[in-house]
Amino acid sequence: MKLSRKKILLINGSPRKKGTSASFARTIKMLAKNSGDTAEIVHAIDYFDRKKELADFYYLAAKSDVIAMIAPIYSDALPFFDIWLMEKMADEPGCDLRNKVFFAVGQCGFPDITRVEPLIDECRLFALETWMKWFGGLAYGGGAMIDGTHLENLGKEGEKLTKSFEIALENIGENKKIPSACQDLITVKIPKILYRPLAAYLNRKIKKRAKENGNAGIMKKVYLD
Amino acid sequence: MSTVIIDAMEKGSFISKAVVDRCRENEKDISLFKPADMNILPCRSCGACEYKSPGKCVIKDDMHDILRSIAKGNILVMLTQIRFGGYSSCLKKAVDRFMNLCFPLYTVRQGHLLHPARYGEKKLIAVGAYEGDSVDQENCFVRLVENNAWNLQYEHKSIIIKFSEDIMKIKQKISAVL
Repeated sequence: MKLSRKKILLINGSPRKKGTSASFARTIKMLAKNSGDTAEIVHAIDYFDRKKELADFYYLAAKSDVIAMIAPIYSDALPFFDIWLMEKMADEPGCDLRNKVFFAVGQCGFPDITRVEPLIDECRLFALETWMKWFGGLAYGGGAMIDGTHLENLGKEGEKLTKSFEIALENIGENKKIPSACQDLITVKIPKILYRPLAAYLNRKIKKRAKENGNAGIMKKVYLD
Repeated sequence: MSTVIIDAMEKGSFISKAVVDRCRENEKDISLFKPADMNILPCRSCGACEYKSPGKCVIKDDMHDILRSIAKGNILVMLTQIRFGGYSSCLKKAVDRFMNLCFPLYTVRQGHLLHPARYGEKKLIAVGAYEGDSVDQENCFVRLVENNAWNLQYEHKSIIIKFSEDIMKIKQKISAVL
């Protein structure tokens, strides 16, 4: 049973405002609103770029019951400006995050979701350091394939992702951690035997796109020239 | 042999000094970078390094100096304060741009999809420092270094130093890997 209406702050941790992380945040925002909660999306990059004031972010965080980081992996972890924002939050004495709920959604282009685990761990340890309540993380391994498409236009894959987020929000609403069923729903199950044909397919696409951009020489060692 | 050091520790850190001194004992050809003093801008995921200028980021900043040195070097040493079980933002701003060290193409190695290394195999040594006693933080840091090394297809070692540790013990730990 839902305990109370919640204010949810969704941090898009990608520099792209129309990419896969933003698409996930958009769906989570819609689901939250449908169930009577209020949700707002902010872009971490805006605070780094000083397009928005950090003080405003602290204010938004302070009045939220639930905060989520939704981000891609860059070099196996959160993008640097997300870590920068989390450092600011953790180190700013005026930013009291105590007892707020925190959860994360990480995504990458590789089907193996263990690649997203360092990102989830960073969020978990951030929650621990700031005395927030860690409600869990979801990892998605097909981010590049989605490439910002709205989930309602993604067929079955979009439905599974939406269902997973819906169950996660229901549990958070009842003050429960995100259940493992949510992760099971969105785990991309590609047998490893198909990795080689998949790599060959992706490589053909990359070479074609490079040619279209006038660059056949994608194998150049530019920093040795 | 040449060594590239990316030192993201705070200014005047005795850990930085111990690592740099040790590297200098072993190696004359050293490139030392301090990202805190450099203009390194965030990756915007624009994709240009994949298609428009393959292997070269289109952002005009100081990161190209680091990438050029890594491309030519044999050993990469990274020093960071551990934050949330990973790298500090000061180190991560450089690491985020390492995509340029790989080809955009995919390969399969030991059952994993990877981007092949553009500049061959190297050795990565990561030094993480923090104040605390959390096995959780340490394990997460070690795994992140493993993942980075796995993706770059580099050999790797990581060491964790506590700020409260005796300087002799710190030097011993550093000597064991460098």
